Amino acid sequence: MRVVVAEDLFLLRDGLTRLLAAHGFEIAASVDSAPGLLDALLEHRPDVAVVDVRLPPSFADDGLQAALAARQQVPGLPVLLLSQYVEQLYARELLADQSGAVGYLLKDRVFNDDQFVDAVRTVAAGGTVMDPDVVTKLLGRRFRDEPVTRLSAREREVLALMAEGRSNVAIAQRLFVTEKAVSKHTTSIFTKLGLAASEDDNRRVLAVLAYLNT
Amino acid sequence: MGDMWILLTVLRRVVVRVLRHVRRGIFLIPVAGMAIALFGLQPWTVAAVLLAALVAFWRPVVAAALLPVSMVVAGISGLVVAATEPGSGFWTVSVLGALKQARIKAAIRRPPVIVKGGVKRAVKRVIDEAHQVPLKRVAVTRVGPAGPRGGVVPVPGSARLNWYPGPVAQAVIPGGGQGVKFQVPAPPVVAAQMVPRGGGTAWHINSGGVVTSGFIAPGHGPWLGGLLVPLALLLLTLGLWLLPRSAATLRTHAAGLLALLRRRMLENRWGILLVPVALLGLTVFGVHPWTVAAILACVVTAVRWPLLAADLVPVVLIAFAIRGFEIAASWPSLPGLQQPGELYGVIVVTTRQLAMLAGAEASAFLVIAAWLVPRTIGAHARTALAPGRDLELEGRVQRLTETRDLAVDAADTELRRIERNLHDGAQARLIALGMNLRAVERMLPGRPEAALALVAEARETSLRALNDLRDLVRGICPPVLADRGLGHAVRALALDTPFPVDLDINLPGRLSAPVESACYFAVAEALANAVRHSGARRVHIRMQHADGMLRIQVGDDGAGGADPAHGTGLRGVEQRLAAFDGIMAVSSPPGGPTMIAMEVPCALSSPKTCSF
Repeated sequence: MRVVVAEDLFLLRDGLTRLLAAHGFEIAASVDSAPGLLDALLEHRPDVAVVDVRLPPSFADDGLQAALAARQQVPGLPVLLLSQYVEQLYARELLADQSGAVGYLLKDRVFNDDQFVDAVRTVAAGGTVMDPDVVTKLLGRRFRDEPVTRLSAREREVLALMAEGRSNVAIAQRLFVTEKAVSKHTTSIFTKLGLAASEDDNRRVLAVLAYLNT
Repeated sequence: MGDMWILLTVLRRVVVRVLRHVRRGIFLIPVAGMAIALFGLQPWTVAAVLLAALVAFWRPVVAAALLPVSMVVAGISGLVVAATEPGSGFWTVSVLGALKQARIKAAIRRPPVIVKGGVKRAVKRVIDEAHQVPLKRVAVTRVGPAGPRGGVVPVPGSARLNWYPGPVAQAVIPGGGQGVKFQVPAPPVVAAQMVPRGGGTAWHINSGGVVTSGFIAPGHGPWLGGLLVPLALLLLTLGLWLLPRSAATLRTHAAGLLALLRRRMLENRWGILLVPVALLGLTVFGVHPWTVAAILACVVTAVRWPLLAADLVPVVLIAFAIRGFEIAASWPSLPGLQQPGELYGVIVVTTRQLAMLAGAEASAFLVIAAWLVPRTIGAHARTALAPGRDLELEGRVQRLTETRDLAVDAADTELRRIERNLHDGAQARLIALGMNLRAVERMLPGRPEAALALVAEARETSLRALNDLRDLVRGICPPVLADRGLGHAVRALALDTPFPVDLDINLPGRLSAPVESACYFAVAEALANAVRHSGARRVHIRMQHADGMLRIQVGDDGAGGADPAHGTGLRGVEQRLAAFDGIMAVSSPPGGPTMIAMEVPCALSSPKTCSF
């Protein structure tokens, strides 16, 4: 699996490429600026890109802008953004095109390399991965609303994990329940929120995030 | 009783439904039309109706908000007119009686008619002559000489005259007023004057120094006679009933106005005083076309030429004083002959003593004028003559010094906060991390299991340190603010707020970083207040940049009661904005809603060009 890494700090860039290489990724390019990232993405067309939101030249959200620009030219290009902060505003912009294959995680998540590599693979496969912090904030916003308050505590837990982009299998492992129990919960959640149920994991995540984001 | 209740309920529903469907502001026009009905076709009444029409069509929301207020004013005016109109004596109050006398004053010109046969006959003759006009009611004011048992006794009467001639006259006030007995010498010859005036007849009978005056009014039509009072009461009731609903809307508009007013006050110091002072002129010189015109001129001057307006304030006050001295000096002290009263400031002058008091009031005006002269005319003259000593510049320097001190203090406090935060948070965690790692080093050869647990702990500690740092940096400069500027940062802030926030942001560019930061934290503070204290369910934020001025409004529908004087949050915001010559106005009455308006003069740079 070919990956492009964009990170301006040498130490972190080096660490990321090592980590990904150790898990069997092929590093197509590793760049340190937004223009370099855009060029690399368009040239190599990698299976996935791991991008720092803050990049030169202006050290603002150049990484995000470059990723969005690349996805405009190559729709559905898988991009996983890393940042010291997660902002709902940026999550919203990433999710806006509804085509999936995006991820948005705190840089700390790299500490747990298994989960991080899982996330990279999910994004590469067209899935959506959101940081638990973003999901918590999204849920926090909706708590005063009718439908979400009708969910049971367990269902809310499942909803949060779903919104983070996890599959039924992963949720079941995480909550120490059977996969069947999880699918029962998800059906109930979709009914209570009035969403069209979908077997496809990716579509399911997008539907949940779209619901929480409105 | 039950039928009545049903009728009332239906009536209320119909009224509410009509008010809901029709744009309520349109009713402002007929209510303003009351002015013409009450005071006749005059320039100011016509202007009021035109203004009402303009507001109703141009700003229907404001018109709707103003409607209850105008109803209350129209209702009160109607009652006052009904009370002052001669003839409907039931409503008469004594102050208005004095005003009525002032109107009669000018009328005593015709030579007296000698009537033989005493006071009674004179009164009869007066009434007989007055019968040429359709007589409905007769108002009589009986005036006696000053003395231990005499005094001025107004006797509002009806068609039946409360007059008992003889050695002792008894004045009876219908409606439960006091009755006073006093001696009336009744010589056979009295002088009577009758003066046609204002559609009625004013009359004065002098009988041996005892003057009796009165006014015979023509009969009123159904308007003044019967309709006016119920209509006025209805308007007043409806207005008071609707008033609390429109108060919220008015307050929202007022908060914006308040900020503007404060700015104007800061700019032109005393000029704005000209308007209230000019209004005071009405009580000194009376209501004439020229005084009304002068007030309008003063308003225009205060808005357009604030410096000139400030200079005019003492001049106008001196004119008041001169008039006051004139009244004090020229008030006749003829015993027995009563002159109708004259209003001067807060005093209705009817006697020589009161005239002296008016003189004292004039002195007070003069003192205020003297106090203002060096602050207005003097200051301006000094500026004009010696540009080196620019008073405005001095004021500005002082203000800059104050705000600089505050800014330095704030920066210092902020640095200390950051230092303490680092010390207690990230630094402490890094130390713990180092100690953990050292322990791992020792354990690794002998007890690798325990070492593994410590490594996991170390990783947890490093995560916490990161979280601490993240929170700290967010408090110094939020990432979205640094990345994209104020507009986006406030949008992000709204997304993190646990209830709906309506945004109306128009900022086509970036501001300077310090202004952006100050404004961001101002909005964040206002929003945090709404979340924490007010129990609001909806917040709206309006933000736009026009004419070199950033205007921000944050309003919520919560319980209100926010006060910059209490608590450091809003006060800090005010000080932080002051460093940029920005101002903040808070309108937050108990019960809500809260409206915080901020204005910061600043330049907008062109939008950041993005290379992608």
